[in-house]
Amino acid sequence: MTTVRKRSVLSGMRVKEAMRRLVIRLSSDQTLARGINHLIKFKAGALLVTDQKESPCGVVSKTDIMAAFYGGLPVETRLGEIMAAPPLFCYPDEEIEAGLQRMGEHRVHRLFVQGATSDAVIGTFSYPDIVGLLYRYCSTCKKGHRRASAEGSDDNRARVKEAMTPFVISSAAAAPISEAIEVLSAHTFGAVLLTDSSGKPAGVISKTDLILAFHHGCRPERPAAEIMGSPVLSCSGEDLLADALREMLIRDVQRFFVHGDDPLEIKGVLSLSDAARFRSGTCKACIPSRFISD
Amino acid sequence: MYARDIMDHRFHTLKPDDTVLEAVKQLYSASQAQGKKIFGLMVTDEEDQLVGMLSMYDILLFIQPKHIHIWGEMEDLDPGDLFDERLESVKRVQVKDLMSTDLVTVTPYTHVFRVVDIMIKQHMRRIPVVDDKEVVGIIYRTSVFYSLLKKFTDAPDIGG
Repeated sequence: MTTVRKRSVLSGMRVKEAMRRLVIRLSSDQTLARGINHLIKFKAGALLVTDQKESPCGVVSKTDIMAAFYGGLPVETRLGEIMAAPPLFCYPDEEIEAGLQRMGEHRVHRLFVQGATSDAVIGTFSYPDIVGLLYRYCSTCKKGHRRASAEGSDDNRARVKEAMTPFVISSAAAAPISEAIEVLSAHTFGAVLLTDSSGKPAGVISKTDLILAFHHGCRPERPAAEIMGSPVLSCSGEDLLADALREMLIRDVQRFFVHGDDPLEIKGVLSLSDAARFRSGTCKACIPSRFISD
Repeated sequence: MYARDIMDHRFHTLKPDDTVLEAVKQLYSASQAQGKKIFGLMVTDEEDQLVGMLSMYDILLFIQPKHIHIWGEMEDLDPGDLFDERLESVKRVQVKDLMSTDLVTVTPYTHVFRVVDIMIKQHMRRIPVVDDKEVVGIIYRTSVFYSLLKKFTDAPDIGG
């Protein structure tokens, strides 16, 4: 019987090729303030929480801390009180596709990589790391480059609009921070676009901005404009995906807002998660090989 | 010889709410004032109790792009403008966001060889000296080294 198996650039690659070998771990009796310090300092999206025996017992992500901020908890709250349990794992020799599938099923953005024993955690596996791998693979792929140079055009190369999420979530810059958190919580987005009184893009609030505000003693009732990042980083939907990815990676940003002909008209958002789900980093050279018969 | 004999009584401190930009200026002015390169400063709260340490390493770690391994593969990259953007992001960060809170301290009465032992085993360049919760000094690795060396070379049975 012939089976059709979906293939991508990532097929056959192992978790150990993409994982980040830095695990931020804190015991459950440590405070949220210390957790925020570690997340900012090491540019991590989540930390592994350990119990009294130093065994992994939970995860605290930026989303969890954002919820604590919204709920009015003090930064002295213990990590164990807000952690999600149990932590989800993958293995270094597991295929990346299997890890991505597990992340999708559990609606999480990262897995911890388990070593030889259940207590040994040797890395983290997340969407941005996969995009880095995709970029490196595709930028050295002779097939894609050769085809593009032979054809003399970029027609065969992927555009931002093909990988982006075609809508944005927004809140008013003058509205309270709590409103921006509500909008973020209702969607699986990492940032919310803030608009001015005329509905034009004014800034962005990311989960990193929110946990920093929490750490700095800001109250959720304050106007969102006080903590937003500005200007709004955007690109055109017609831009090459490769160029947008490259810019995101080197500028250390998690997303670009995508505009149409008018740069002030935001139509979507391209995040590193979107790019990881799209599988191909830069061109369409490998797309015909995605569906093969075994 | 004890910590009190080799510790530096002159030290600059930061507050947790200081911006990292202010911390960089403090590092520079501390180096100027003390006539030697200062690579890290103690962070004290409003009651002057030690709550953290901030080093140049902590700041560099934050400035460094997360995907630095990819930069080397981009030959046409001009890092100048991008680095300016990274510095902009630093302006929104406070000392307490980056400081190290795993503190190791000694008292004025800690023996100097215990200080050396801590510095070697924990790869520490500087150790705060705390007496009854109050910061009274700081010991730099160079101070320990030259103090010990001086003591050894001054001994009549060495180098004679």
